[in-house]
Amino acid sequence: MTIAAAGSKRSEPVVTVADAGEINDLLRRYGVKFGIYKNGQFKEQLFPFDPIPRIIGAEDFSRIERGLIQRVRALNKFLFDIYHEKNIISDGIVPEDFVYISSGYLPQCEGISPPNGIYSHISGIDLVQGKDGEWYILEDNLRIPSGASYPLIARELTRAASPGAFTGSDIIDNRDYAALLRETMDYVNCGGINAILTPGRYNAAYFEHSYLAELTGAALVQNDELFVEDNILYQKTYSGDKTKIGALYRRISDEYLDPLTFEPSSLIGIPNLMEAYRSGNVAVINAPGNGAADDKGIYYFVPKMISYYLSEEPVLKNAPTYLPYYEQDREYVLDNLSRLVIKDVAEAGGYGVVFGRDLDASALAAFRDTIIKEPRRFIAQEVIDFMDLPIIENGNEVMRKADLRAFVLSGKTTRVWASGLTRFSRDPDSFVVNSSQGGGFKDTWVLSR
Amino acid sequence: MKRLKFSFSTKLTFDNYVHDHSFALRFTPIESPAQHLSAFEADISPFVSVKNTSDAFGNTVTCGFIRKEHRFLDFEIAGIAQVDCTVPKTDFMPCYRYQTAYTKPDAALREFYRFTAEDCTFTDPFERGMYFSDKLSGHMRYEKGVTNTKTTAAESFALKAGVCQDHAHILLSLLRMDNIPCRYAAGLACCDGETHGWTELWDGTRWRGIDPANNCPVTDDYIVLSQGRDFSDCAIDRGVMFGQYTNQLQLITSSVMQI
Repeated sequence: MTIAAAGSKRSEPVVTVADAGEINDLLRRYGVKFGIYKNGQFKEQLFPFDPIPRIIGAEDFSRIERGLIQRVRALNKFLFDIYHEKNIISDGIVPEDFVYISSGYLPQCEGISPPNGIYSHISGIDLVQGKDGEWYILEDNLRIPSGASYPLIARELTRAASPGAFTGSDIIDNRDYAALLRETMDYVNCGGINAILTPGRYNAAYFEHSYLAELTGAALVQNDELFVEDNILYQKTYSGDKTKIGALYRRISDEYLDPLTFEPSSLIGIPNLMEAYRSGNVAVINAPGNGAADDKGIYYFVPKMISYYLSEEPVLKNAPTYLPYYEQDREYVLDNLSRLVIKDVAEAGGYGVVFGRDLDASALAAFRDTIIKEPRRFIAQEVIDFMDLPIIENGNEVMRKADLRAFVLSGKTTRVWASGLTRFSRDPDSFVVNSSQGGGFKDTWVLSR
Repeated sequence: MKRLKFSFSTKLTFDNYVHDHSFALRFTPIESPAQHLSAFEADISPFVSVKNTSDAFGNTVTCGFIRKEHRFLDFEIAGIAQVDCTVPKTDFMPCYRYQTAYTKPDAALREFYRFTAEDCTFTDPFERGMYFSDKLSGHMRYEKGVTNTKTTAAESFALKAGVCQDHAHILLSLLRMDNIPCRYAAGLACCDGETHGWTELWDGTRWRGIDPANNCPVTDDYIVLSQGRDFSDCAIDRGVMFGQYTNQLQLITSSVMQI
């Protein structure tokens, strides 16, 4: 069986199923893995690759692009606002509680202005396409969204397995991700080298850290080779000297970043990094404290932010969302619980997602009580009937749920990478596509016309 | 208004050599409308280059890094402060409304709040704060050695004992349950040979201080070194170091007197 890029006359059949096995072999050989912790044990898993690409036409993509750029611009303005003047709160657009109770909000970041005012340099925005063709935003990931390396390397290996597959086609080359990322780092660099900080090889995304460092020419560093002196971040060199770091793309979460500002027991952080950052001597990518804007509770307010900060109508829609925090919404949620999807705002990675239809009567009643007791903890959404995508399973083509993580990079300008990570659920009954839940991935082809 | 001459010193001694020692000190009294420094000097030993920044809560942070091996870190401050607690301080932040890991109440503390608030007839936040402090002093005794710097409000409340830090955390917890924004203050006070900790509450327009360990309003005898949501934002010294050392010994002396 062969798969051709739809909507493109010039495209030749490009990937065969036999290649898929070969590509998965190559992925294994190159160590393209992600790690998960299950029952206290660290396990590395392959992230299964499916050979049928998701194809997005030029017109569709241009609308997605406009919508995502608009969204990320508004989110960056929101972050600056809540850590400075807080106008969106005093103007009554977002209730104060929603921002300041959020575990992603870090009061330690109050008043800090990141280089060039950018908070979310690399945004991973998750979308799904409804059966009506409409794209809906599911989630914003503004902390350390991972996954860009998978479509990159899959494309690379597909190219290796089927040389010539992409020549003469309308598929936009996605190899510019490295250049985009490097430009993003360079734009905020405060003088010195670019570095990617990894917690080490036992991290779920270690493959990605090392791959991106290689592609962008940034130093791949761990905390034990870094130190802050005179509020400047340095890397120790082998000769006993030191090299200044001007931009740190850190792949560890905020709470472990600096034991002298955040979690004191952190062994993977860099003491006084926050003071170097506050002094404007290093850019931290993405900025600490971004969790205040990608909280599932804040998601509800993003369309309002777009109107508030940009005076524009949102191009892309949110999935219809209700906040039990508001009494009217709460009544609706309690009445319709059995057909809604409920998300715990504090959880990520597909955890804390409950479909009302999977609950029996007593579980529903118990869940209603929990919502009444802790309304701020949850959001409820209509289950979107999203478009299934074909995947190959045991040689047969079957339809599965899939989403798209698009990557938006904010530097001098805000740009959307013309590719993205398409994740699918291998379980025919599941809507949850996260890699930590056993899903697979596809390459995403964006067509130039 | 009072003019206070103050000094404070800390000697940290390690069992063995340490290196790559990063520290962050919050030992410079805060400049505020109610507190002004007319003289100040700080000294850190061994000699190390330091930089000052101002953190989110308004504290001066003095940071340093000692790469080579050493067995001690001493720092001391001395100066003269003019204190007038009747001049309003108005630097509010929303985060002062919410409980933190230190102040989060458990069932017993919530219960204590419930019946204390029930009996409280005051409406003014400061009067309510004094009332809570008064009731709290009936429940808690001041005792050293039963708690440590990591003890939470709920834990010391259960022990019915603790030092100034514990009393301050419990009062913060009660005030936040009462929807009164409040913050922790660390500093120096007359007649106290160590550092002191107390509470400031937001009365709607300005900060007012209450010292729950002594169950009294804060007067011009208190010098604020640092402030924040709880003790963790205010620690006078925080450090991370590498080495074989197993123990550190900390000696603190301070003095405040009116001149």
